[in-house]
Amino acid sequence: MGNNLVTVAIFAALAALPLFAGDYWTGQFTYYLIYGLFALSLSLVWGYGGILCLGQAIFFGTGGYLMAIVTKGMIFPDLTNSYLGLLVAITGPALLALALGWFLFAGRGIGGAYLAIVTLAIAVVLERLMSNWYALGGYNGLLDIPPLDIGLFGYSYELWDALPTYYVILAIVVTLFLALNILTRSSFGLVLTALRNHPDRLAFFGFSVLQIKLVVFAASAALAGLSGALFVTVDGFVSPTLIGFSLSTEVLIWVAIGGKEMLLAAFLGALLTRFSEGWLSELFGDFWTLILGLAFMASVVLLPRGLIATPLQALTRRRRPTPPPS
Amino acid sequence: MLEISNLNAGYGEVTVLRNFSCRIETGQVTALMGRNGMGKTTLMKSIMGLIPVKSGTIHLNGIQINGKETYKISRAGIGYVPQGREVFEQFTVAENLRLAALGSSLSNLDRLPQIHDWFPILKERHDQKAGTFSGGQQQVLAIARALMTGPEILLLDEPTEGIQPNIVHEISLQLARIARETGLTILVVEQNVDMVRTMADHILFMENGQLADQCSAEELRSDETLIHRYLSI
Repeated sequence: MGNNLVTVAIFAALAALPLFAGDYWTGQFTYYLIYGLFALSLSLVWGYGGILCLGQAIFFGTGGYLMAIVTKGMIFPDLTNSYLGLLVAITGPALLALALGWFLFAGRGIGGAYLAIVTLAIAVVLERLMSNWYALGGYNGLLDIPPLDIGLFGYSYELWDALPTYYVILAIVVTLFLALNILTRSSFGLVLTALRNHPDRLAFFGFSVLQIKLVVFAASAALAGLSGALFVTVDGFVSPTLIGFSLSTEVLIWVAIGGKEMLLAAFLGALLTRFSEGWLSELFGDFWTLILGLAFMASVVLLPRGLIATPLQALTRRRRPTPPPS
Repeated sequence: MLEISNLNAGYGEVTVLRNFSCRIETGQVTALMGRNGMGKTTLMKSIMGLIPVKSGTIHLNGIQINGKETYKISRAGIGYVPQGREVFEQFTVAENLRLAALGSSLSNLDRLPQIHDWFPILKERHDQKAGTFSGGQQQVLAIARALMTGPEILLLDEPTEGIQPNIVHEISLQLARIARETGLTILVVEQNVDMVRTMADHILFMENGQLADQCSAEELRSDETLIHRYLSI
């Protein structure tokens, strides 16, 4: 229960944020929430499924580009509905993950560091590809992506202002966070934990390890694709940096610093790292990346469960005198 | 019935099983005995599809299973208790058993009362982490986990390894009872003579990757020459 209280407190604080923060910070936190959602996608596949994907931006960027292509009407000028865009931006990356996953995991498959390197290489290749794909804006990317239109039944309501945008994104993030929590505590979560620890043992009682890996990889990609799509509607701009190397490593750092095996910690890892980036870079200039690097190393060496997950877990334990059965 | 014909299998260039053939009759408890390095575990791994078969065939009830993936072999009706038990240490007893049902069929959760009846300790300690169990208790859990999948045939690879003798005897008696009551077919790889005497109907002796000899439980009781010859004791 302690854990749930902390979760409620954090999301309540996020809901109250626009009351005391101005439009600027509300806008900034809209981005942070989206990054948080992106971090959740990596936490699912890496922290729970044990699949270290070092190219998670592949799916974020693909989602972003697909959303831009649909809502700008680049293929069908009459079909620019935001919901259609989101649908395409979710299913596209999921299908891409299924195809990639088939090559990566089928047969004996690859894992660990090799998988990380291959996924990272794919991210780099895609970044180069998008930089040279002139129909999609090439290096400059695509501009003037319309904001989310959440209108229904012929009515249109476009999210131009910071406040409604913030709350819509927060609602999406909270819903998905809760859904992921339920998912990871369900039987599927049990199977994922088994997959992370001893994948070879699962086949002894009828599990197809390939199938589980594909499902979790695709689910994570769908989530990353959605975050990419939301990002470009808020930013109005998509470029090859969204699909490439640096964003892939950044999300890895947020999740590692927060704690990959705890959804809330991974989510907060993204929020707090991006938030600190703002004022640390003002205070220390370019040296702030050094601080981020030190935090990352401290997290890996001293608190491998994560800088945020460790205190959160301690808090949860103190609130609950008897240890949980699971 | 599990039928193995002219099986050749091994690791990389090394062939361990050489034209191994045998039949495991339905409803019987068959023990496979032999010294270390004779290919017993290799045979188990070949049946489970964990190592590739070079030539020969393995049929379960007339259906060829060699060349299939491990999870399909498990679904075809073979329960496997690997050497070293390999339970999920970080999971509770209940979670270990639940996982087995999730992999095979959710309706297998109905087997839980039966499993608890056979192994009461698993009911008493269903919330305890498997990693905190002793070797014998983990072995019981590994057997129960395999039984949760509702197998036709149960493969046990050296179940008594590292377990104290009185527990070994208990496990043997319980397995013999389960086989008798349910008609479960069991193939057990074992060097523990007590266990084999307690539960086996039929004994196969393996030497250098081949079936060297076989006998019935009565023959084993009355004549110890085979044990002396193939186990050097």
